[in-house]
Amino acid sequence: MQTFVRVVRSLSQFFGYIAAGLIGLGVLVVCHMVFVRYALGHNTIWQTDFVTYSLVAATFIGSPYVLMTRGHVNVDVLPLYAGPRVRFWLAMFAGSVTLAFALVLAVLTFLFWKQAWDNSWVSDTMWRARLWIPYASMPIGLTVLALQCLSDLIELASGREKPFGMEAGRL
Amino acid sequence: MSPTTQGMLVLIVTLIMLLSGAPVAFGLGAISIIFIAIFQGWSALHVVAETFYAGLNDFTLVSIPMFVMMGAAIGSSPAGKDLYEALDRWLYRLPGGLVISNLGACALFAALTGSSPACCAAIGKMGIPEMRRRGYPDDVATGSICAGGTLGILIPPSITFILYGIATETSIGRLFLAGVMPGLMLTGLFMLWTLFIIWKRGFRAHAPEFRYTWKEKFHSIPKIAPFLAIIVGVMYVLYGGVATPSEAAGVGAALCVVMAVLIYRMWKPRDWWKILSDTTRESVMILMIIAAAVLFGYMLTSLYLTQTLAQAIADMHPNRWVLMGLINVFLLVCGFFIPPAAIILMTAPILYPIIKAAGFDPVWFGVILTINMEIGLIHPPVGLNIYIVKSIAPDVPVTRIMWGTIPYVVCMMLAIVILCVFPEIATWLPDKLMGKAR
Repeated sequence: MQTFVRVVRSLSQFFGYIAAGLIGLGVLVVCHMVFVRYALGHNTIWQTDFVTYSLVAATFIGSPYVLMTRGHVNVDVLPLYAGPRVRFWLAMFAGSVTLAFALVLAVLTFLFWKQAWDNSWVSDTMWRARLWIPYASMPIGLTVLALQCLSDLIELASGREKPFGMEAGRL
Repeated sequence: MSPTTQGMLVLIVTLIMLLSGAPVAFGLGAISIIFIAIFQGWSALHVVAETFYAGLNDFTLVSIPMFVMMGAAIGSSPAGKDLYEALDRWLYRLPGGLVISNLGACALFAALTGSSPACCAAIGKMGIPEMRRRGYPDDVATGSICAGGTLGILIPPSITFILYGIATETSIGRLFLAGVMPGLMLTGLFMLWTLFIIWKRGFRAHAPEFRYTWKEKFHSIPKIAPFLAIIVGVMYVLYGGVATPSEAAGVGAALCVVMAVLIYRMWKPRDWWKILSDTTRESVMILMIIAAAVLFGYMLTSLYLTQTLAQAIADMHPNRWVLMGLINVFLLVCGFFIPPAAIILMTAPILYPIIKAAGFDPVWFGVILTINMEIGLIHPPVGLNIYIVKSIAPDVPVTRIMWGTIPYVVCMMLAIVILCVFPEIATWLPDKLMGKAR
């Protein structure tokens, strides 16, 4: 189990690097687009699509990393005021909801991606980008998100991770 | 099942889901999938992936990570410390000058980062120990920083305004401009209250033992000025219509990173990763909520829940100011429990047609909504800024910090009332610079 948790964490970290890289790349491409459009006075074709797709991909690919680092915001009023036992079960419930959502959406987005692949969908912009490429980020990111969530649940159940990362008696 | 019963069911399940502590994005997404499957059948689920993706496939959204990166570059650098030092060295001789420095630094840092927690942490780290060292009461020192931090989501550029603009298709440039005057007014109200309370408690000392030379006074300004110039430049191209928000934010983000590297020598991989990881964490969190909120909105609309609610309110023919009062109470209560990004994305599409029908200016309402969100940031039980300040001053009991924030909550409520009486405070600047909204 520990090996599984370690592998998944490494995978999430790696995906975090990719997402950060995509956002950084997005900034550079926006600068390039501004230069081409305003300084050179040329039309821009691929930049708008590329940046949008990069950030959509960064969102899905980066999601497991953000889950691992507790970056997805939640309403922690009840966990904050609850006793340790209730807090534990709330964390289990919250983790299970995330896992179920990630799994269902991974399947649905895979089917969506497959449609794009089978029918060779392209974007309706001038760039005519092959849509299976940006769509692929959804099932990939969500599958790793589900794995990260499963790993968090294992850590929680084994007592190695505190519910919601809260120390007892945080208030 | 009637739409009203369905609506009640959705509301209850959403509340349970959110209060359980599940991440907002995944909770909203899960509820949407469950209700689409229950009320429209499994076959309707084929739209889920497409809707989720479509929620993010918008070039305007690119401005969010770009603005976040601008804030992360400045927030990761010692710019907050320099800003605080610069103001303190210029204002130290004024009675209560340190408080004015703190709140002024919060307002300026808010403009630089657009993030309340970052603003609270950056200025609080220097401001709170210094105020306590100079004898300011603990509740004033901590409460003023909590309140000053909230300015981050009102003074432009503000992620809250971007989200509201996207959710309601309101001009982001216009919203940014509308936040300037109320932001300054709120800063002024905070300063007035703080000066009044320390005067009332007989606190007169304003550090007569401190003396700064002109060299010391000018020491930090060259480091801060380029960042302020970038923000002013971004604002200019935005409302001047020279570039789109995404383009302005993209170039602004790149320039802020370059300035952080040049001025503060942040060229180590560790520094770069700090900026990039902070940007990734916040951006992914917000974008995931956006995608889930779009799916949630789709579910509400396809079950006719939004339309039923809007129709029910229209049928009541309420007085528009009673309606506005109720909306404010609703937002206030939401703000006590739910993070601003989630509230805006969940409620703005529902509230927007209602406030439009009642004849309110959506830009003005964006400002009112944002001040409501600010209150939630310093009001128990959640009050994110309270816990940030608590981590800076661990020896101050959390109840003392909470009591310290209450007068500032009253200041914000007063600001809402003032804005209701004089909406021009918010609308004058955008109307003046961009022309009347059509």
